[in-house]
Parts: sequence; structure tokens; C-alpha cells
Amino acid sequence: MTDAPLDAPLILAVPSKGRLQENANAFFARAGLPVMQSGSERSYRGRIAGLPDVEIAYLSASEITRELAAGTVHLGVTGRDLVEEEVTDFGQRLELVLPLGFGHADVVVAVPEGWIDVATMADLDDVAADFRPRHGRWLTVATKYVNLTRRFFHEHGIADYRIVESLGATEGAPASGAADLIVDITTTGSTLSANALKVLTDGVILRSEAHLVASLPANWSGAARGALRTILDRIEAEAAGRSLREVRADVSDAEGAALVASDRFGATTPFGTSKGPLTLHCPAGKVYQCAEWLRTGAGARTVTVSRLDMLFSATSPLTAHLLGRLDAYTG
Amino acid sequence: MTVDTAPLRILLSEAGYRFVDPPILSEAAVFLEVAGEDLRRRLYMTSGPDGRELCLRPEFTIPVCLHHLATGDAHRVADYAYLGPVFRHRAGASGEFHQAGVESFGRTDRATADGDVLALAIDAANLYGVANPDVRIGDSLLFSAVIDALGIAPGWKRRLSRAFGDPARLAAAVERVSGGTTAGAPAHAGFLAALDGTDHAAAHRIVEDLLSIAGIRSVGGRTAGEIADRFLEQSSLAAGGGLDARARAAIERFLAIEGRPDVALAALRSFAAEETLDIAGVLDGFEKRSEGLARRGIDFSRLHFSSGFGRRLDYYSGFVFEIHDPDGMAGQPVIGGGRYDRLLPALGARTSVPAVGFSLWLDRVKVTS
Repeated sequence: MTDAPLDAPLILAVPSKGRLQENANAFFARAGLPVMQSGSERSYRGRIAGLPDVEIAYLSASEITRELAAGTVHLGVTGRDLVEEEVTDFGQRLELVLPLGFGHADVVVAVPEGWIDVATMADLDDVAADFRPRHGRWLTVATKYVNLTRRFFHEHGIADYRIVESLGATEGAPASGAADLIVDITTTGSTLSANALKVLTDGVILRSEAHLVASLPANWSGAARGALRTILDRIEAEAAGRSLREVRADVSDAEGAALVASDRFGATTPFGTSKGPLTLHCPAGKVYQCAEWLRTGAGARTVTVSRLDMLFSATSPLTAHLLGRLDAYTG
Repeated sequence: MTVDTAPLRILLSEAGYRFVDPPILSEAAVFLEVAGEDLRRRLYMTSGPDGRELCLRPEFTIPVCLHHLATGDAHRVADYAYLGPVFRHRAGASGEFHQAGVESFGRTDRATADGDVLALAIDAANLYGVANPDVRIGDSLLFSAVIDALGIAPGWKRRLSRAFGDPARLAAAVERVSGGTTAGAPAHAGFLAALDGTDHAAAHRIVEDLLSIAGIRSVGGRTAGEIADRFLEQSSLAAGGGLDARARAAIERFLAIEGRPDVALAALRSFAAEETLDIAGVLDGFEKRSEGLARRGIDFSRLHFSSGFGRRLDYYSGFVFEIHDPDGMAGQPVIGGGRYDRLLPALGARTSVPAVGFSLWLDRVKVTS
């Protein structure tokens, strides 16, 4: 579709309710993209301060997934589980731009705890095949993840079952007799335990997280592409800032210490090693080891660690990659 | 780009098959009941005004069976032919394509009927320029007879039978029921050790009691008894009660037998004699069918029997075949068929009904203009 007006805005779809909305708003605020609802609290449109070429659409997470696939919105925040469930050819139509660090949940196969003979998908295959001769009906699986379930069961060679579509409180289905087992989303597993269900050892279908997702079939006008660059630039700066810590240390041999820190901890030297105390950007998970080594291994007397709000680079791999895919997309 | 179907209609009619034209719009439930949930992603689904799930027919065999059941006694002899569009979601190909074929019901001279249908299938392939057909044949009855004769426990037999026809899955199943993949201690090892040496009925009662003491009621639709059954089955596997080395070697030797039907038969007979397995009944059936094929002038050098060959559809119950065109699409049979005595009962007949047939993919044959 190339007939978009050159100034058609970029439409960014944001979850309209619940924890996902709060987290998404907080995320955009951190990235310097404060989302403002237009007019009243109940309006379904909004904008971002200082970015006139962006319109916000408030939708439910599953609507966002569908609108992205249809190309009626350009960018959206939605869970990976919904993307894989609702868009069979998501690899062709969508780009999962970036995991956002919230909305973590696993889609799992869970069976009643009382099934002491079932621990793996292979056990479940046995039970499924045996079920119909014994009970005169198919083994039933309650889920709202119909496609994910079908795909996963197929990969494990399980054919003897039927899906019972469930639109809420799936975890109660085995107890109520609505189904024999479930495929559902879980964060801590406590809802499953409370319902006397256990996850099969190889029954994790997907580890999901909220993602920023781009629609390839959408109308990417010049204005929309410009807005995309700005948004991704800020989001990338925030994401890089979130994953890194700035470490400063008064080592004597800055160059040598930088080499070791790069090799052992994956730390970089954004401002070179020539002047003043050594400044490193170290992955957040390696900070303690790095600070330890700087003192014991490189002779530093003081090491300071600070959080980075943002980190802007001259190059943006995310933007370059996404623009490349948009240019290559032919629908 | 359509293929000429007039000669095919003449061939099938002259062979005594009567053309039927079952409805395209069908109840989805019947296909899902027979083939399982996995078929759903390939069906073109819709719904009736009352909410019933309907689909466009994905094949002809079940609709022809339903026609047969609706029009008279299930056990009567009837030979049907069909030709028309079927509908399935297929990646990278049109969801609408044409199939033709035959279904032959009620003939109790099974070996002869098998031969008649295969011979007709080869003639049909010939019409579409498959001059040198590569005919692959198999017979799951042989496999069932071998694992019966080896005295394998019912639980393991079920697993092996289920994987038959898919070499990778079957190898994995053999490995599994040999106890080869129970790495590490099984779950509840302490409890199992305590049960060790208890006779089966007592162990069964202990496990059942344990479940009820634990207040376990939420077991989906499974009973405590069947959970106990399978739990003890697992424990016997963990304790080395799986397939013994002799049975495993025999199964692997059997699965390696292949070749022309006459050569394979000789190999099967010496296999049975050396392993002292009484499978003479099914071997006689195999021989009778081969003789029938020879009488019909079928060139044995075109037939390739593999003892592990099966078609992965639950309702096939014995002889199966596929016809490939060596000059056509690799890996895709032009014709597939076989015996499915279990299908009519699954659709409502009271007892098993002899049934054999084949389907020809008209989208896989060369266009002859």
C-alpha cells in the first residue's frame, strides 16, 4: 500500500486497561514519550507530548494484536503469547521490535496433581491415546490458546484430544469437569497450585513478555517513518540505559583494565580510556563481579556505580533493521 | 490447467463402481471425531444458523461411508466411486483441489478385494502418465501379530502400535518401552521401592487408597483406578520390566524386512521360524493377497513392501499402499489407499465392516491435454 498521504500519522496502540496499561504508560514515560489521553479519562484516543505525528489508540491487548496484523495501527504494545496465538504468520507480518521487561507470563500445559503417573508430554500422549477406548470420549483440553495448543500438541505427536474453548477461569475447568487438563498462562504458578494443577516438565509452550510490535502491512508514510525513528531512538536509549550500569573506577592502567572488563563482563568504554577515571558501561547483571574485580584485580580504591536514565548512540540497529524490513515488505 | 477426467470416470464405472456425489458442506464433528483435533487447523470451518460447526469436506472417504450407512444395511456389498473438489488449508497451495477414488464395502474376500483395489489404482495412475509407478505397500496386521506373538505387555503394545508407520516415533517408542530413556530416578522413587515385591492387585489398591487419602478428587475425567494402573506400569518400566532384549531385537529385525512381496514373504517366513513366532495366519493372508496381485498381472518389480510402512491415519487397519510417480513430485503420493475395517463402526455401524479404497490427488498428476 503506497497510497498513504505523506503526512498520515503513526498510530501507536496502547493497552486500554489494567496492569498492562499502567506498565506501558510507565515505560513510555521513562523513555521520554509521555502518553496523554485526550479529553476525558474515557477517551480512546491520545497523543505524545511534542510528537504531533503520533496518535495513540487505546485498545485491548488482543485487539492490538489483530489491528497490527491487519495493518490498521503501526506500532503496539502486546504480549508475545497473543501474537503467536492470534497471528499464524506473525513472522511475515509483524516485527517483535523489543521486549519491554514487563507482563512476564508462561503459557503452560497443566494437569491435575492427582495424575501421579504423568510428568511429561510423552506421558500425556499415552494418556490421550488410551482415553477414548476407556471413556468413549476424547481427552479434553480447556484453553483460550487454541492455536498454540494445537501446534504444541502436534509437535509432540499428540492427536487424540479435543479443545474446549475457555474464555475465563480456565484453571477451574478440571475441577468443574469442563475439561481434563488445561493450557493457560501463569506468572507465579500459585493459581495453578490453588487449583491442584501441576505443569508438565516439558510443558512450557512459550515464555511470554510484553513487546513493542511493529506492523509491516501498515501504511508507513514519510511522517510515520519520521515518528518511528524518534520513538525507537528514545526507546532504545531507555532500554540500553535499563540494561547497563555506569561504572567508574580510579584504576592505574585504564586500557588494560578495560580489556579485561570487556572480556570478562562484557563492559564497554563509551568515552575511551585516555583521560580521568575509567568509565565503563557494564551489563546490569555483571556489576557486582565487575566492581569486585576492579578493586581486587585492577587496584582501584574507589568504584562508583550509577544507573543510566538514557543512552543515545549514533547508530540505531533496531531502527535500521525495522526500516529495512518495511522496505522489503511487499504484502 | 484442468486434467481430463472422462477416461477416469469410464475406468472406474466399467470396474463396477457407482459414482456418488456426497454434499460438500458437512458436519465438522464427524471428521474431528475420526481424525482428532489436529485436523481442525486444516478444515475450512463455518457454522450453521443453529451454531453447529460445519466444514467443507476435506476428503471423500467419510462422506461416502455416511452415504453408505444412510442408504441401507451397513454390511451389504457396495462399490462407490467419487470425483470432485475437496478443501484443506495447505501452506503455499490452493485450499481447493480435486480428488477421485473408490470405496469398496462389505467384501469378505478381503485378500482378493485388496488386490482388486490396488490393481485398479495402478490402472488409474497409468491413465495420468504414471508409466513406471513406484508402489509402496505395508500391512500393520503383520506388526500387530509380531508384537502379540512376542507376548509384550498390553501397555507397551498400545504405545508401539500407536507409533507404527512413523519410523522416528516408532524407534523412540521402542527405546522408551525398553526403559532406555528413563534417565535418573523416576518420580516417587521411594514410594515405588516400598511397593516393590507387592503383587499387582495389592499395589493397585495401595495406590488407589493413597489417592483417596490425599483427597485427590480433581483428576479431570480420569479415575483413581486408571491412574494407579498407569503409575504401576511406569514403575515396572523403571524396575526393568520393559521390553526385553530378545523382543527388542526381534522387533528391529522385523522392521528391517522389505523388498518385492515374494522376497519379503520368504524373509518374513524365515524370520518367524527363527524367532519361533506364530504369525502363520497373517502370513497366509499376505501370501494370498500377493497371489491375487500376480494373477492380475501386476509387475512385482514395481511393488515395494516395507514391514514398517503404514499410513498415519487411525482408521487404517491392515493393508495400505501409496503410488508414487518417480518422474513427479518427490515425497507426495499420487494415490493413497488401503483397508479400513474400523471406520464404518466408528461412524455408527454396529460391527466391523470390510472396507478398502483409494484416493487419487488430481492436483498431483501431470496435466494431459
